[in-house]
Amino acid sequence: MKKTSPITIIIYIFLVFMAVLYLAPLFWVFNVSFKTNAEIFTAPFALPKAPTIDNFTFAWTAGKLGIATLNSFLVCVITLILSMVIGSMAAFGIARLRWKLAKLSLTYFLLGMMIPVHCVLIPLFTRFAKVSLTNSLVGLVLPYLTFALPITIFIMVGFFESMPNELIESACIDGATIYQIFFKVCLPLGKTGLFVTGLMTFIANWNELLLAMVFISDDLKKTLPVSLSKFVGPYNTNYSQMFAAIIIAIIPTIIVYCAFSNQIVDGLTAGAVKG
Amino acid sequence: MDKLLRNKKAIFVFMAPAFILFTFILFIPICQSVYYSFCDYNALTPAKFIGLENYKTLLSDKVLIIALKNSIFFLIFSCVTQLIMGLFLAALLTNIDKGRNLFKNIIYLPCVLSSAALGLLWMFIFSPKLGINQLLIKFGIEGPLWLMDTSGYIILPMWVIAFVALWQYVGQSMMLYMAQISGISKSLYEASYIDGCNKAKSFRYITLPLIRPMVATAMSLNAIGSLKFFDLIFNMTEGGPNHKTEVLATHLYQQGFKYFKYGYASAIGVLLLILCLLVTAFINKVIKTEQYEM
Repeated sequence: MKKTSPITIIIYIFLVFMAVLYLAPLFWVFNVSFKTNAEIFTAPFALPKAPTIDNFTFAWTAGKLGIATLNSFLVCVITLILSMVIGSMAAFGIARLRWKLAKLSLTYFLLGMMIPVHCVLIPLFTRFAKVSLTNSLVGLVLPYLTFALPITIFIMVGFFESMPNELIESACIDGATIYQIFFKVCLPLGKTGLFVTGLMTFIANWNELLLAMVFISDDLKKTLPVSLSKFVGPYNTNYSQMFAAIIIAIIPTIIVYCAFSNQIVDGLTAGAVKG
Repeated sequence: MDKLLRNKKAIFVFMAPAFILFTFILFIPICQSVYYSFCDYNALTPAKFIGLENYKTLLSDKVLIIALKNSIFFLIFSCVTQLIMGLFLAALLTNIDKGRNLFKNIIYLPCVLSSAALGLLWMFIFSPKLGINQLLIKFGIEGPLWLMDTSGYIILPMWVIAFVALWQYVGQSMMLYMAQISGISKSLYEASYIDGCNKAKSFRYITLPLIRPMVATAMSLNAIGSLKFFDLIFNMTEGGPNHKTEVLATHLYQQGFKYFKYGYASAIGVLLLILCLLVTAFINKVIKTEQYEM
C-alpha cells in the first residue's frame, strides 16, 4: 500500500477548509431559519432551542413565495420544453439539411451567446408594454427562450453532426419523411444532449432576476428571485422569516443539483468548448 | 435522400421558429437599442433624435464614472483571481485520488444557486448585527462595517462583493480547467518523469501550455459575466451607500426603470455591449490558441 505523503495531507486539509467555507454559510442560514426572531440575536450560532417551521409557512403564504415558486416553475418548464423542440429543430436544420446558408446561420445564432440581456432590456420592455406582454408569464417565456437557444443549438449541432450518415440513409430508404427522421430517429438518439441542455436552461431561468424584475410588477405573477428580493430587504425586520425565504428559494436547485450534478458538469464543459 | 435533405419547405419549417424568435427578440431590439441611445426618450415622450447628446452626458455623469471604475475593477479582479484560484483548485483536485467528486461538487454548488438568494445570504453575514461581526466580537475584535465603509479608492464593500463573486463562480473556472487537464494524455506526464521532471515542472511545461485554449474560454466567460454583474450587487447593497458600489448594470437599471430615462439607459447598454465585445476580442487575441495533439 502506498504511503500518504505530507503534501497529500496538506492538500486534504486545504480542501476540507474550502468545503467548510462553502457549506458553512448555507448551514448557518438553514439553522437560523428554524429559530424565532429573538433567538437570532441572543444566540446567532447555536442550534435552535425549539425548532419552528412558522417562518417557512409565513414566507410561503404572506411573503407570496408559494405563488412565486409556482410561477417560476411554470415559466421554467414551458421555456425548457419549447427551447428543446425549437432549438433541436434548428440544430438539425443546420447540421443535417443541405442549404447554402447553414454555416452562416449557425454563426448568427452563436453571436447570441455574447449579447448581454441588458442591451435588449429597454426596447423589449417598451415593445412588450405596448402589446401588454409585460406582467404576463408569456412575456417572460419569450426572452428566456430566445436566450436559451444559442447554447441549445450549439450543443445539439454537435450531437447531430456526430450521428452516422447511414442512419438517415436507411430511414430514408424505408420511406420515412424528413419529419419522421427527425422526430423518430435523430431526436431520440440525441436525448442525452437534450437532457444536459435542458438542465442548464432550467437552472439559468430559475435564477434569472433582472428581466423578471423589469417585466413583472404584479405580485401574483412574480417569479421566485423577484419575490424573494422584495420580501427580504432592509425594511423587513423579521430576520428568521427572511432566512426561511432564502432557503425556500435555493432548496429546489440544491435538489436538482444533487440528483444530476454529473450531467450539469457535462453541460457546462460541452457548452464552453466552442468550435 | 439528397432530395429529401434539400427540400426547401422542410428547411423552412425547421429553421423558421428559431430564426423568427432570434430576429424579433434579439437582433431587432439591439438595433433599436443603438438607435434609442441617440434619442431623447423617456416613459412619457416618444423617442426624438438628438445625436450624441446621451453620450456627452455619459462623460459628465459622476455615478457613471464610479460604475465604470467598479465594473473594470470587477473585470480585472475576477479574471485574475478566477484564473489563479480556478487553476490551483483544478490542479489540487486532479492530483488526489479519494473524494475528488465530493470536493468538486461542493465547490461548484453555488454556481447553480440563485445569486439573488446568495446575495441576500451574504448581506446578512456581513451585516453588523448578525454574522461575522458577532463572531469577531467573541474574540474581542470589532469588525469593520463591511458593506458601508466608503474610504479608499476601491472601497471595502467592493472587495467584499468581489470576494463573494469569486466564492460563487470559481467553481465554474475550476470545472473547465479540470475537464481540460483530465483530457491530457497520461503518457506525456510519464515521459516527463522519466526525463527527470518533478510534479511542479511537469505542471509548468506540460499542463500550462496545453490548457491555454481553455484559459481563453474561461476568461472570456468570466469577463462577460463580470461586466453583466447585477444580481449580487443589487441584493447586497443596491448600489449604495451613496452610489459608491454601483456597476454598469445596476446604473442602467436605475436610469432605465427608476427614472425612466430610456434613451440614456440605452446609451449605457451600448457601452456595456461594446465593452463585452472588446474584452472578448482582446482576451482571444492575447491568449493565442495553438492546437496541440493531446
